[in-house]
Amino acid sequence: MNFTWACLFGLALNFITAVLSAQSCSLSLTGIVTSDTGEPLPGATLVIDDGKQSTVTDAHGHYRILKICAGTHLYKIQFVGFHILSGAITITENTSRDFSLEVDVAQLEEVVVRAHQPLTEHVHNSSSLNVKQLADAAGKSLGETLKEIPGVNTIQAGPGIFKPVIHGLYGQRILILNYGIRQEGQQWGAEHAPEIDPFIASNMIVIKDATAIKYGTDALGGVIVVNPPELTDKPGLGGKFTTVGQLNGRVGTMSGYLEGGIKKHDGWGWRIQGTAKQAGDYYSPAYSLTNTGAKELNFSAAAGVHKEKYGVEVFFSRFSTELGIFRGASVGNLTDLVNAMERPIPQSTQPFSFDIAEPRQAVAHHLFKLNAHAQRTNGEWRLQYGYQRNDRQEFDLRRGSLLKIPALDLVLQTHTLETEWEMENTNGRILCVGLTGIAQDNANIPGTQRIPFIPNFVNYSGGVFGVAQQIFGKWKLDAGLRYDYRFYRVKGFDYRNAYYEDKLSFSNVSGTAGATLQLKRDRLDVNVSTAWRPPHVAELYSLGVHQSAASIEYGLLLDPITTEVRNISEVNFRNEQALKSIATWTMERKRLQIIASAYVNRIANFIFLKPAGITVNIRGAYPYLRYDQTNVLFTGFDGTATWRASASVKVFSTASIIRAHNLGSTGELPFIVPNRFDAGARWQQPDGSRNRLFFEMKVRRVMKQRNGPRVITPRQFLEAAENDIDLLAIDNRNFDFAPAPDGYFLLGAATGFSVKTGESRLDFRFSVENALNETFREYTNRFRYFAYDLGRNFLVSIQYQL
Amino acid sequence: MKSFFIQSFKSFGLFAVIGGLILLSSCGDDPEKENTPEAITLTILTFTPTTLGGIPVTVTAEDEDGDGPQSIVFSGPIVLEAGTEYDLDITLFNGLLEVTDPEYNVTTEVKAEGDEHMFFFSWTNNLFSNPTGNGNIDARADAVNYLDDDGTYPIGLETSWVTSASTGTGKFKLMLKHQPDLKTATSGSTVGETDLEVEFDLEIQ
Repeated sequence: MNFTWACLFGLALNFITAVLSAQSCSLSLTGIVTSDTGEPLPGATLVIDDGKQSTVTDAHGHYRILKICAGTHLYKIQFVGFHILSGAITITENTSRDFSLEVDVAQLEEVVVRAHQPLTEHVHNSSSLNVKQLADAAGKSLGETLKEIPGVNTIQAGPGIFKPVIHGLYGQRILILNYGIRQEGQQWGAEHAPEIDPFIASNMIVIKDATAIKYGTDALGGVIVVNPPELTDKPGLGGKFTTVGQLNGRVGTMSGYLEGGIKKHDGWGWRIQGTAKQAGDYYSPAYSLTNTGAKELNFSAAAGVHKEKYGVEVFFSRFSTELGIFRGASVGNLTDLVNAMERPIPQSTQPFSFDIAEPRQAVAHHLFKLNAHAQRTNGEWRLQYGYQRNDRQEFDLRRGSLLKIPALDLVLQTHTLETEWEMENTNGRILCVGLTGIAQDNANIPGTQRIPFIPNFVNYSGGVFGVAQQIFGKWKLDAGLRYDYRFYRVKGFDYRNAYYEDKLSFSNVSGTAGATLQLKRDRLDVNVSTAWRPPHVAELYSLGVHQSAASIEYGLLLDPITTEVRNISEVNFRNEQALKSIATWTMERKRLQIIASAYVNRIANFIFLKPAGITVNIRGAYPYLRYDQTNVLFTGFDGTATWRASASVKVFSTASIIRAHNLGSTGELPFIVPNRFDAGARWQQPDGSRNRLFFEMKVRRVMKQRNGPRVITPRQFLEAAENDIDLLAIDNRNFDFAPAPDGYFLLGAATGFSVKTGESRLDFRFSVENALNETFREYTNRFRYFAYDLGRNFLVSIQYQL
Repeated sequence: MKSFFIQSFKSFGLFAVIGGLILLSSCGDDPEKENTPEAITLTILTFTPTTLGGIPVTVTAEDEDGDGPQSIVFSGPIVLEAGTEYDLDITLFNGLLEVTDPEYNVTTEVKAEGDEHMFFFSWTNNLFSNPTGNGNIDARADAVNYLDDDGTYPIGLETSWVTSASTGTGKFKLMLKHQPDLKTATSGSTVGETDLEVEFDLEIQ
């Protein structure tokens, strides 16, 4: 109201002075707009007299308004991240005037929710996905969701199975914490995706330090932390429902949760959540990918109480899925592989169907968790217990009545128990010590009528650790040390179906040291840590044909001549040990944010599959590989740059570069993700707008992997075998059946808006992926030998927030 | 600090007991040995002359260690007389099972699921006068004399051969394909998964 009157007054004055001065409106007003610390602000907007004239500052913060009338004018200057500056200025001649804007701290903060979980306090190098980014990825599996983070990629087995890769490492070499509990499933398998529903998470953090300290062994590449939202204690009902539809695969996903506090019981809260998903066959630009459908049904519930001095929480989740394995990837021997690779259209390609036939997987994962914490005068005590049960059945194309009987039927039960004590003193020193224990049982369910691929085993592990953190001025330093012990008792059947049993034990020490330097606007994080990993029984004892890999694998402990199981003392075995150094520089300017990480990870005694020879058995010729050990070095760089061009426009780009070296003489490592670059721009209605309309475009460039192993095609193997030449006996370096596919570009776009309905909100999002229907193959997709990757996809997502 | 340890040990102890009880109940079972009916470790080819009094020629291909690295071992080349008619019977066995096991003889199962299985043959050109050519691994329509069928299409456990009048040496290859829902009038040797692929040396004397 005041403004309108002032406006009218100003206009009147303007008119009078214009008349009085009798000068035409040809004066100029120039100057520079800076922040209160003197930094010039390019792109700030100046509005004169409520829009009669306006301009934008140039790259050096300079502005120029020409043809301005003599008199008094109102001005309003704004720039994202700063308080609006308004006032009046009287002009009688060409005037130069500089303006200085005040920082608005609340606006500057990126919406990155750092977890308040104590587990991630001592972390230096990490990236995260917040609630909004997770909502943009709704409907995708865990691996696909995490792929948006630079430095993180995936190993795929067709369009439905994604294993996350951190800095080149995956499977047994990264750790996934599902609500604070180590996810224990059959991660040794390249076609075994992590059994976690991304909808339970409110944020996900990828820790790139090889930080074994709090979590135990196996985190050579890093840790993925999946955090559900904190339990609310506000009485009344809250919740969120999301529906996603995708055209490619005709995928329908519905997920939702309800949460609330309990009236008259302060500090109590509960939440129930569920997800249902169904997908049919996906398609590439040229043909349908038969038998790639999937079904998923997940449920979780949490309840707890959090008071000032203590808290207790209980959590239960169930994840279950049935997945089809791409039919065109079913091959037996090398001849089958030749045929499959040379077919223009994969075998058994059928029109679209929701049916899931053999080969397929059926997996269920149950998690029960109890955690408690208590504040004492000098510190906090925490306790966490988890029980997990992972049921995995895999069905192959078997003869006749065996078709419906699983070829692999495993039940893995794991109990984990952790306790820690954390003290903080007035100097900012934090000390944390803890104990962890795991008891695990893996059992093959009888009745598969096949020699089990991995044996039964029982695993007892224990660890003790200590971490200390100290603040020295601008520096935050921490160091930690941990000792782990693992014991296995193994019982299984060898290649002749004869019984064997074994006892194994492994132990090691790991350490970490890191520092964070917090400058006014920039930050430097460095970390050096060691991590180790005991071998999985699959790497020691497995024997069999890896379906769709057309090769036979032998565990490390199988004798090369007799194929009998040896004792580990007979083999020169050493634990895998990683030494990772990583540094991250975060630069925050008014408009520009750059985060850049560089790392070196040297892994000694890296367990890998080394080609050993060609064997001809009744089914034909197969290359065979033995698990062996070598030393490897991973080096890489991840970067993200975000430029806020204006209040509404944001331009961003990311880079993920990695190079893996085999320090031994067995050739380049296979399946190392190629370099990847993303760039995009987003236009968004400013915050405070009713509908939050946005439009975004993104381009992804994946390079061709030029540092992969040498190529020996299946045809070359067969022709040599016909002449009694064993190509692998002559030269047993790593090989690939086909050259790495060409690099490719993918274009994506998204748009959306929100509608407010009272207290609630409805968010709509429409997006297209691979908009140009590009035909491409992904190097890290194990099925790239058999088919193209996905064609164009349209997605619609609707989210309703109570 | 002291109270922490006492307290945590108490809770730890309680949980350890519970956890241990749960585990003890599950890890006590020893694994059961599986029957493995799908493995074929032994193939026997029996060429029986159609003329009375002829002596059958038998050759075997055996892979003693199944999926182990040792390659298959052949009992020797197939030695057939020139200008003679033979009936070939193929029998398949799973040597990882006991001989008394009903699944030991895999031939009966292949016959029972004939609509999902087919044998393909190839040999060095002109070693047989009937069928002529070099077999149907390269082209389904090429000549092979099948004596059995699944009701509609041939299987190949029984076939008929006439050796050429002149002597010679070469190769004889057979392939068993598993073609569930894929076997048609034109499905060739590239269709389906390979259950068996063996190549013998062949001598016509």
